[in-house]
Amino acid sequence: MYFLLFFTLACLSTCYCRTENDEKAESMCGLLRQSLTSTSVSVEIDKKGFHRDVVTTVEFSPDGPSDLQALVVHKWPRGIYVDPYQLASLSEHTDWQVLLDSAIDLEVPAHKTVGLVAFVFPALHGRIPRLLKVTVPVHGRYHEPSFDGKKFTSIDLDPPELLLRTGKCQLSYLDPHTIVDAPCTADNSSICQWARIQHKQGQASFQLPVGDGLLVIPVCSATLLVTLVCCVALAKTVWKHQLFTH
Amino acid sequence: NRVLFTASVAIRLALVAYGDYQDRTMAVKYTDIDYHVFTDAARFITKGESPYNRSTYRYTPLIAWLLTPNIYLNPMFGKLLFIICDVLSGLLMYRILCLRGLGSQAACRMCSLWLLNPLPIGVSSRGNAESILAALVLGTLLCMEGRRLVWAAMLYGLSVHMKIYPITYALPICLTLRTPDTGAGEEKERQTWRRLLGFIRSFLNQELLLFAGVAAGVFCGLTSFFYHMYGWEFLHETYLYHLTRRDIRHNFSPYFYMLYLTADSSWSLGLGLAAFLPQLILLLLVSWAFHLDLALCCFLHTAIFVSFNKVCTSQYFLWYLCLLPLVIPRLSLSPKQGMGLLALWFAGQGVWLGPAYFLEFEGYNTFLLIWLAGLLFLVINCFILIQIIAHYKPEQTAQRLKSD
Repeated sequence: MYFLLFFTLACLSTCYCRTENDEKAESMCGLLRQSLTSTSVSVEIDKKGFHRDVVTTVEFSPDGPSDLQALVVHKWPRGIYVDPYQLASLSEHTDWQVLLDSAIDLEVPAHKTVGLVAFVFPALHGRIPRLLKVTVPVHGRYHEPSFDGKKFTSIDLDPPELLLRTGKCQLSYLDPHTIVDAPCTADNSSICQWARIQHKQGQASFQLPVGDGLLVIPVCSATLLVTLVCCVALAKTVWKHQLFTH
Repeated sequence: NRVLFTASVAIRLALVAYGDYQDRTMAVKYTDIDYHVFTDAARFITKGESPYNRSTYRYTPLIAWLLTPNIYLNPMFGKLLFIICDVLSGLLMYRILCLRGLGSQAACRMCSLWLLNPLPIGVSSRGNAESILAALVLGTLLCMEGRRLVWAAMLYGLSVHMKIYPITYALPICLTLRTPDTGAGEEKERQTWRRLLGFIRSFLNQELLLFAGVAAGVFCGLTSFFYHMYGWEFLHETYLYHLTRRDIRHNFSPYFYMLYLTADSSWSLGLGLAAFLPQLILLLLVSWAFHLDLALCCFLHTAIFVSFNKVCTSQYFLWYLCLLPLVIPRLSLSPKQGMGLLALWFAGQGVWLGPAYFLEFEGYNTFLLIWLAGLLFLVINCFILIQIIAHYKPEQTAQRLKSD
C-alpha cells in the first residue's frame, strides 16, 4: 500500500516537473513566436556602378528570447557575385560571417553562370539590438549585350529571408510552415531547424550598363579598319628603316 | 653610380614600409590583390597542396614556391624579392648599355629612367612579380651581347616558362645566331629552291642548335616537372588560359568592345583570328628587319605584341618599358620630342581611364567612349613606335656578328 502511494506520488511529481518544463519551453517559444511576427527585415543598395553594398536592416522586437540567433538568407540572381576573399579579409573587422552555397567564378559573364545563396550569420552576443545592419559588398557581372537599344540591365534583389532560432525552444511548438532547415553556423558543420519570419519588405534593384549589340557591325568594321591602318603604317616604317648588313 | 642604386633601393624599401602601414590602417589597400593570390598559393604549398587551389592563381608554381618564406618568415619577403629583382634589372641594363658602347655616366642616366621611374617602383612595391621577368629578359639580352650562349639559353628557357610572351624573341634570336650569307650572290639567285634550302641550312649551325637545345631543355624540363606534380591544372592555368583568354571586361585593348559584343556569336573565332594577324605579320617583319640589333628588336616585339593584343592591362607596359632604356641612347630625338611622346602616351592612358572609371564606379554606360579611347591609344602607340623606328641610328657594328 505504501509502495502504491509512493508510486502515485512519484508519477504525479514527474508529471508536474514535465508540465513546468513544458510551460517554460512554451513561454520561450511564445517569445520566439512573438519575435517572428514583430521582427522585420529590409534590404537596400548603396554605392554606384559595378561595386555595390547590399545593406540588410533587421528590426528586432524588444521582447525576444535572450539567446536568439539570427540568420539572413539572400538568394541573389546570377548578375551579381561576392568575392569570397574580400569577405574573408572583411570578416577580420566585422562581427558577421557569410557562408556561400557554391564556389564562385569571379570572371565569368552573367549568362554563363547561376545565382547564388548567401547565408549571413550576424553575431548577436546574447544581447538583441533594436536595429541590426549588415553590409555585404557585391559586384556586378558583365551581361550579354542588349539588342533592343537598352543601355542598362536591371538586377532585382528579392528581400532576404530572416530565420530565427533559440536554443530553449523546440520548434515543433510553432507552425510547421514557418520551419526551414539551414546551416547552424557559418562553418556549415551541421543543419538546424530555424523559424522564418513573416514580414518581408519590397524588392531592391539597381541598373548595370550593358554593351549595345546593335552596333556590332560598325564597331567591328571600325576596329578592324583602324588596326589595319596602324599595322600597314608600322609595317611600312619598319621596312623602310630595316637594318642591313653591308 | 653607387648613389643611384642605393637611392633606388631606399625608395623602394620606404614604399614597402609605407604600403604595410597603409594596409593596416586605411580602407583602400596599397598591396595589389595579386600579392595576396601569391601568398595564398604559397600557403597551400606549405600544406603540401597544389597552389592552383587558390582561384585566379594563373602563374607558374615557381612563383608560389619562391614565396613560401612569406609563410615561414615574414609576409614582406615576396615584396623584398621583387624589389631586389627590380634593382637587379637596373644593374643588368647598365651592363648591357656599357657593352653596347655607352659611357658610364650616360649609362647611369639611362638606368635612372627605370630605377627612379614611379611605374616600376609602384608595381614592385605593391607586390607584382613583373620585375622577375624583366630581370630574366635583361639577363638573356646581356648574355647574348656577351655571347655566353648557354647562360642566355637557360635564362631564356626560364623566362618563357614564367610568361609566354618571350617566346616571340625566339625568331630574332634565331636570326641573330644563324650563319650569315657569305656573298656569292649570283649563284644563289639562279634557283629559288636552292636559295630556300640555303636559307634553311643557315639555321643549322652549332651555336643556334646549342641555344635551342638548352632553352628547350630548360623549358621542357620545368614543364614536365610541374606537370608531374600538379597535372593538367598546371598546364591550363599557366599557359592555356592565357592563350585562349577571352576577357570581355574593359581593358586598354582596341579589340575589347568588338570581342565583348561578339563573345557568343559565330563570328567570335574568325574575329579572334583577324585580330591575331596584324600582331603576327608585324612580329615577323620586325624580326627580319631588326634582328641585327637584338635590344631594339625585342623592345619593338614586345611593344607591338602588347599594343595589338586582345587583352591589355597596365601591367603589360612594364614588359617593354624595361627594354626602353636600351634603345634610347641611339635615338636621334631631342629631349623635348622625347618628353612630348611620353606626355602623349600618358595622355592616351588618361583618356581611357576617365570613361573606364565612370563605367565601373559610377555606373554610366560609357562603353562607346572606352572603345574609342582604346582605338586612340592604339594609334598613339603606333605613332610613338614609328617615331622611335624613324629616329633610330644604329651603330655601324652590323659586321661584328661573326667576326668575334
